[in-house]
Amino acid sequence: MPELATPTAAQTLAREMGLTEASVERRRKIVGLGPQDFERIASIKDVVLPEIEQFSEVFFSYLSSLDEGRALLSNRALAERARQLKREHLVALVQSDYGLGYVVQRLELALLYSKAGLDLRVFLAAFYHLLKSVGVAVMRHFPSPLEGFEAFMSLEKVAFFDIGVIVDVIVFERERVIRQQQDSIRELSTPVLQIRERLLLLPIIGVIDTHRARLITESLLRAIRANRAKVVVMDITGVATIDSKVANHVIQTVTAAKLMGATVIVTGLSAEVAQSLVVLGIDLAKLNTVGDLQGGLEEAELMLGYQVVRIDGRARALANEGSKVE
Amino acid sequence: MAVPILKQGDVLIASIQAALSDRDLVDLRDELANRVGRLRSRGVVIDLTALDVLDSFATRMIRGIAYTAKLRGADTVVVGIQPDVAFAMVQLGLALEGIATALDLEEGLALLQARKAERDVRK
Repeated sequence: MPELATPTAAQTLAREMGLTEASVERRRKIVGLGPQDFERIASIKDVVLPEIEQFSEVFFSYLSSLDEGRALLSNRALAERARQLKREHLVALVQSDYGLGYVVQRLELALLYSKAGLDLRVFLAAFYHLLKSVGVAVMRHFPSPLEGFEAFMSLEKVAFFDIGVIVDVIVFERERVIRQQQDSIRELSTPVLQIRERLLLLPIIGVIDTHRARLITESLLRAIRANRAKVVVMDITGVATIDSKVANHVIQTVTAAKLMGATVIVTGLSAEVAQSLVVLGIDLAKLNTVGDLQGGLEEAELMLGYQVVRIDGRARALANEGSKVE
Repeated sequence: MAVPILKQGDVLIASIQAALSDRDLVDLRDELANRVGRLRSRGVVIDLTALDVLDSFATRMIRGIAYTAKLRGADTVVVGIQPDVAFAMVQLGLALEGIATALDLEEGLALLQARKAERDVRK
């Protein structure tokens, strides 16, 4: 069950979206809300306020007439809260005070819609019907249609101001999932592995952008410190293309590791990558490169003084026997 | 604040404990150049473990110390650069080209030892 949106959640969201008094002011400017509108809205305040119940009912009964709108209404707690917020919205709509407080109030309702999975087009349709019923009441109130129309158009500006906020929230909430996935992909893709004492392996797969290069360098430097590494083998077999930017990132990582006293061996430069680097004129002379990962590991072991010896048949049989006895 | 310089066998160890003014760095360079000759040292270790920033002037001074010491016959190893410092230096394009670096004091001394052994073999 989706939890109820709380005022604090709305305030947190306002901060995350970077909403301030200044940006709200800008939003008012964009829809063209001015003092003249406030005057007109004040003149219809007494028309709207007594009928708030009915207007709110129009909105929710339209929602309940659509399959897509029922998700919100089938949850009793959510529906109750939505109705209450909608009534508050209609009261605030004619108070001529559209500052940050008003926007935070809108955010709360928008969060609720987004948590209930309310479709944007369904919301817009229901909101249209709500406005239509308000419009009818306003037009009836004024003797001349022109006056009524002007007053209603001022209210419409506020309505579009609201829609702007609500659409932003729904989009922002949807993108939140994408942002979280991006973060987890980045985290997953930069492991630093110790394969011998003082020897680290850093396999890089995928695209290196500035943000990721930073993460890779940071996690490598921390791992060098934690494992007291002396040699690092950085394998870039999984990096499909290398341009000057990526090459620069690689060089930076190598230089930073060097400052901490670790030597980096770069492996896995394919023929295409090597050729494109030559064509680009990037000087990788500073780098210690070896063709493939195996060669890199052998080189690293040599630097650290390891010697890998293959044991002969008899010794292997003895070793196997030993493990069977255990 | 003056930097303490310790003598350990034929190696001098300068352990920088706090952020240094430019004046302190110049003093350190002069003092080290002086002592390398006087004590006939073969190696210098500069320990930066306690530092959390290293600006361009400090980088240049450290390079200066290393070249001066080399001219007087001692190898220099810079040790203990923190991950954040290393990253910042790379971002700012500061490098210690041609100067040996090691993880910490122990590694630095081992490196100097290895170089000495190499020299002895050549003799």
